Amino acid sequence: MKHKLLILLFLLSGYLALGQNTITGKVTDQASGQGLPGVNIFKVGTSEGAVTDLDGNFKIQAGADDILRFSFIGYKSKEIQVNGRSVIDVNLEEDVTSLSEVVVVGYGTTTKKELTGAISNVSGDAIEERKVPRMDQALQGAVSGVNITTNSASPGGSANINIRGISTNGDNSPLIIVDGVIFPDEGLNSLNPNDIASIDIIKDATAGIYGVRAANGVVIIETKKGKLNSKPTIQFDGYYGVQETSRKLDLLNAREYAILKNEAFAANNQAVPFANTELGEGTDWQDQVFQQAPMQSYNLSVSGGSEKTSYNVGGSYFGQQGIVGDDKANFERYNARLNFVTEVFPKVKLTNTLLYSQERSSGISEGVIGSVLFNAVNAYPTEPVRVDGRFSYLNNVSDIINPVAQIQNTFNDAETNKIVGKQELTYTINDNFEASARIGYNYAIVDVKVFNPLVWYGPGKFANSALNENLDPRIINIGELEVEQGASVFESRESYFNYLAEGFVNYKNTFGDVHNVKGTVGFSFTEESSRILNGTGFNIPNNSLDLADISANKAVGGYLNNVGSSQGLDRLNSVFLRAEYDYSKRYLISGIIRRDGSTKFGPNNRFGYFGSVSGAWVISDEEFFNISAVDFAKLRVSFGVVGNDQISSYAYRANLGGEATYVFNDALLQGAAIGRAANPDLKWEETRQTNIGLDLSLFNNFDFGINYFLKDTKDLLFAPDVSAVLGTYGAGGLAPIVNNGDVRNQGVEFDLNYRATLGKDVNLTLGYNFTYLQNEVTRTAEGIDFIPGAGFSVGGGIATRFEEGFPIGYFNGYKTNGIWQTAEEIASSDVVQPGAQPGDLRFVDVNGDGEINFSNNSDKTQIGSPIPDFTMGFNFSLSAYGFDLSGNIYAALGQEIVRNYERQSPFANQMAYNLNRWTGPGSTNEYPRLTTEGTQNTQFSDFYVEDGSYVRLNNVQIGYTLPVKWSETIKSSKVRFYIAANNAVTLTRYMGYTPDVGSSGVLGNGVDLGRYPVAKILMGGINLQF
Amino acid sequence: MKKIKYICLLVFTISFAACDDRLEIDPPFAEDAESFFNTQEDYERALIGAYDLLQTSYLNNWIGEIASDNAIAGGESVNDSRGLHQIDEMTHGGVNDELRNVLRFNYAGITRVNYMFEFRDKIDFEGKDVLYAEAAFLRAYYYFQLVKYFGDIPLIVDRRLGIEEAVSIDRTPKEQVYAQIEADLQVASEVLEWTNSVKGRITKGAALALLGKVYLYQDKFTEAATTLDRVINEGPYSTITTTTSEEYTALFSVEQEGNLESVFEIQYTGVEGGSYGCLVCLEGNAALGFQGIRQYEGPIYGDGNSYNLPTEDLYNAFDPSDIRRDGTVLDIEAFIAEQENPADIKYVIGGGGHTGYYNNKYIKRLDELGAGDNDLTSPVNYRVIRYPDVLLMAAEAHNRKPSANDGLAQDYLNQVRNRVGLSAINVTGQALTEAIWEERRFELSGEGHRFFDLVRTGQASESIEGFQVGKNELFPIPQIEIDLVGGTWEQNPNYN
Repeated sequence: MKHKLLILLFLLSGYLALGQNTITGKVTDQASGQGLPGVNIFKVGTSEGAVTDLDGNFKIQAGADDILRFSFIGYKSKEIQVNGRSVIDVNLEEDVTSLSEVVVVGYGTTTKKELTGAISNVSGDAIEERKVPRMDQALQGAVSGVNITTNSASPGGSANINIRGISTNGDNSPLIIVDGVIFPDEGLNSLNPNDIASIDIIKDATAGIYGVRAANGVVIIETKKGKLNSKPTIQFDGYYGVQETSRKLDLLNAREYAILKNEAFAANNQAVPFANTELGEGTDWQDQVFQQAPMQSYNLSVSGGSEKTSYNVGGSYFGQQGIVGDDKANFERYNARLNFVTEVFPKVKLTNTLLYSQERSSGISEGVIGSVLFNAVNAYPTEPVRVDGRFSYLNNVSDIINPVAQIQNTFNDAETNKIVGKQELTYTINDNFEASARIGYNYAIVDVKVFNPLVWYGPGKFANSALNENLDPRIINIGELEVEQGASVFESRESYFNYLAEGFVNYKNTFGDVHNVKGTVGFSFTEESSRILNGTGFNIPNNSLDLADISANKAVGGYLNNVGSSQGLDRLNSVFLRAEYDYSKRYLISGIIRRDGSTKFGPNNRFGYFGSVSGAWVISDEEFFNISAVDFAKLRVSFGVVGNDQISSYAYRANLGGEATYVFNDALLQGAAIGRAANPDLKWEETRQTNIGLDLSLFNNFDFGINYFLKDTKDLLFAPDVSAVLGTYGAGGLAPIVNNGDVRNQGVEFDLNYRATLGKDVNLTLGYNFTYLQNEVTRTAEGIDFIPGAGFSVGGGIATRFEEGFPIGYFNGYKTNGIWQTAEEIASSDVVQPGAQPGDLRFVDVNGDGEINFSNNSDKTQIGSPIPDFTMGFNFSLSAYGFDLSGNIYAALGQEIVRNYERQSPFANQMAYNLNRWTGPGSTNEYPRLTTEGTQNTQFSDFYVEDGSYVRLNNVQIGYTLPVKWSETIKSSKVRFYIAANNAVTLTRYMGYTPDVGSSGVLGNGVDLGRYPVAKILMGGINLQF
Repeated sequence: MKKIKYICLLVFTISFAACDDRLEIDPPFAEDAESFFNTQEDYERALIGAYDLLQTSYLNNWIGEIASDNAIAGGESVNDSRGLHQIDEMTHGGVNDELRNVLRFNYAGITRVNYMFEFRDKIDFEGKDVLYAEAAFLRAYYYFQLVKYFGDIPLIVDRRLGIEEAVSIDRTPKEQVYAQIEADLQVASEVLEWTNSVKGRITKGAALALLGKVYLYQDKFTEAATTLDRVINEGPYSTITTTTSEEYTALFSVEQEGNLESVFEIQYTGVEGGSYGCLVCLEGNAALGFQGIRQYEGPIYGDGNSYNLPTEDLYNAFDPSDIRRDGTVLDIEAFIAEQENPADIKYVIGGGGHTGYYNNKYIKRLDELGAGDNDLTSPVNYRVIRYPDVLLMAAEAHNRKPSANDGLAQDYLNQVRNRVGLSAINVTGQALTEAIWEERRFELSGEGHRFFDLVRTGQASESIEGFQVGKNELFPIPQIEIDLVGGTWEQNPNYN
């Protein structure tokens, strides 16, 4: 019996083997001819298949009439009939139209072809190419609909990512997810741009899969992973560059300064300060604080994979010194990455991501009144840097100190150590189901130390910490005690721990060959916690940095001052569901729903539902479609509702965070007072967005995508000024956060990409993206005309507003119409301008009451907006015969900037445009007279508003790759040298340091307080691959 | 297949339900406004919070002088505190940061008191009535500040305003506000003792003196006279005789805080530092550094911001033999000339104006420096009500009440004069009224009373350049505050 069975089996297998032959072959890249590892080979109509090995070779059993399908990400699939052959070599063509590119959509992936939402993709190569310190800077001008503005160009400085406009007065930053782990946007400095494999940006309502946090869009970053079945590849990249300021302000020199000050004092009947005005150039304070500074980056990584495990590990160093502040402004970053994917059991895959970073930074004061550049711009040129062997005092200006001394006296250090990790198990249950469970975490420790030595900048300077120029400490009396206040050191430790636990199941199936169904269902639980502890120790011995540590303080009793601590805890509990259906990949529809419970909101509004519906129609797949030039055409529509919960914790309830300190018996007593006022009905902002898009692939090498979007955000979350009667303006008091106001953003954006092979070894890619955006506040709270924004520090008052019918943060002030030339002109004018004298700005009587009203707002009107009408990016790369040239140009057009950094102190230095001031009838109709007398010329008017449009060559790079036969001599597969320049050219009419004036507070956008200029960088680098 | 679905569903439901419970969390280590007032200590701490806003009265020290004929705004330039310069020139309108701060800070104080009253009945303990008497005084003080500046203002009592209500609340006629102020002060004066062993606590004398002042501001002279008489007859106060300008100035020193003339002082200390970024956070008196001599290097005084500079008009108004002239006004050039090495003494004139005079009562001195930034952290108390003020108010009340008692009025007036070595005044009737008013200027200038006295007594238009009758008696409500309540408040007369 047993024998019979064996024989039967043998016969059967023999029979089976009869129809099957072993087919071998090699899959190569059509362009390079190199073998492609990891190519999937399937027998069409079966689930049998194989994968190519490291060299691209494969082996498969197939019948003579079988059809083999070769598919590989980034390449066009090919189907080949065996036709009885036993050796089949295949070359695959790179997919220029990129329709098969994988797009990460949140808890799943899809391809560009099947996408129903508006998602932009940026490759890791494009990020790396830009050579930027921080990943988000590389997004500027990279894709449409994503606008990057800079808060600070200093080392370790930050930028803002705005997706499809500014939609809220509160926090506009998108949700950032790195390998599935929520990443705080302020922590982006810790990410090494070289570690990034791809960035997907969800711009429309399909971000609803992330629910209450998705209203500002979602940025999904994947770090580099290895490939299965690939040889270890060692890669080294390094560059070194020199930075210098891209601009200096045009200020008065000593002679010009003396002449103009004499004129100003004389105009006010005051004694002229300079008997002799022939003082030459004098001190150029900007030269004293700006310098050339290095920037460098080195990356080493190893990636590869066996049959069941792939890995990508690496380490890197990045260092950047500031162009202001010598070694006092410095940023260094060390990164390590340990990513691997392995099959731990059959059908069970473990994905491990581990990113470690250490950031060390120090900085000088910037971007505020009293900062180094503020002092450098306002310090007068008639004062030398040093007098009598010490730093000069600049005695004539009380609030301006010697900026060189300021830099010398600045000591601060911050160190951030951070681990971001994810462990994910994916179980492929069967062909239809896949279940995933993951834990992601983000743990950061931030240590800060600031040393404040005893300093003396001259009599009367607010920044003095010493009693006198001998640096004697101040003495304060506590009761009967006399206590010395010597040098102090502030230290703080902040630790942040966020984790998320998620589980989800993906389902896919095809019915009747044409009905494709996909589904995702899952849950997510997130906790974010923080702990902060800080204190200041006084009387550090010897005024010495060497002893700058709390442990060295010699304060009476060792007491610390200003001791503080705080804790934070927030949780988010969510479930989500996505269902997708398509008919033959021609008609696609997708629906998302998510329920979020957030501790950011009180019991009244804790839970919310969000979601979207989207659909697409691949017109080019229709039978009737026969436009040969169009390879692919797809129409997309999406609509949905998403939320924004980015407010401080527990804002719905009133806390006792107010300062309640009073003096009894000559001693301070601490009490209790309400801090933030309560708003139990606080809820999330809600954004409803409609998107209509069209994707086209033309002539085999053009990709074109266009979107129209209409985005309405309502119930904005923020804490506007409230009426004084609410009583929230005591010390430590905070206005309640409210849901108040609506904003509409609508626009058109498109991306155009062209890719061509112009000859053997000659490749060209061009990319252009364009965004037109219209921003308008569509509602302010009832009874409130406007919410005041940033102040105008030149002449006082408010410069920006949040007001119905205008863009967010538009500039509101007086319009001017030239300069009053004569007293007769003033006297005979129909409009009374109180206090006007010849040479003063002539204001426009906007309300037509025959008078310029300075004590109320009735003559103020819109005089600018910080929001560009158009932004665009142009990317190009050309490679030929080993040489490559690439670059990126970014343009923002149609926005204005408020010149808000001039100090109106009688002796402060001034901008050189003042040389063109009014000096008598007919001298100028543009620049007012100079006088130390109080005039209305410092009212906020269009005189202080400049065109902020600019075009910037963000990056340009020329490289050369050695021919393989040369590089092989050092056993390298690739050797490339390059030189690159960042920010080499900026075209703008703006007078200030940089036209890229972002702000972390929305109503501060475009208000320039002396923004740190962006650095021009020239660098050289090398890429090596083994 | 089905099994898998069920398992998924099950896992789902469990995790779902379990995790929703985990959203019920309270802020870690934080006190909550709604669950406060559980112990006597909680009440005492809330009261400290209510006292805190008294320290913002440095604004009164400025505005009361700068608005009057006593002082100019000064400062670095005319754009340095533009609001004060406008007040100086009587061109102030609906945009004025200083006036807005007056409104904001005093309502913050009121709100903190009302928060206490909201939870008054939660628990009982010994001494609660005293605690609430002090709180009532504070509320009266804050409301009096507001009504003095702005006239009709929303009256909110014993409760917190919700954010909905804050955009619809109306102004309350000032008569009603005054009624509340009187009621609060009557409670305070009944419960509190004449003395308190704790320096800085409100006393019966402070409550009665303020009540007397409140009556006087309403021309309720009879009530004012009765009330102020009690302070004089029953209170522990007496005049302090000084014989030189230096001795007189020393009445305003840290050393003499709480002296026999002290009726109500706002307490300050120099131990805590401060910065310009948050003036409301200060525990020191910001007025002194601001009023200091700009970039001064020399003996006795510290350098400051040259704000609130006395006018020549004030200086010349004094009889040269009155020790209070040099006690009140520092003539900087004369002072420098008297010093040992005049050439070594330096100072700078600010672009905001210069008179050659400085406020010698409240000025930064080297022996009274606070912690850094010591422009802001003077430990010197603000003497809100001094005994001479009480005497002069009582004198005025007796002189102006329906059945005038000019004899007693003369007696009170002369008590003030005698203590600085000036001869007695024997006039009566209107002449006496004017003598009392004049004496108020000599005794109280530099302390923030002058403008309100001028308005109260109808002398403002003749004394203050640019003062418009029917307009400048009140300050304008900051336009933004009108906007923030939905634009429903009418601006004070003639400010639009």
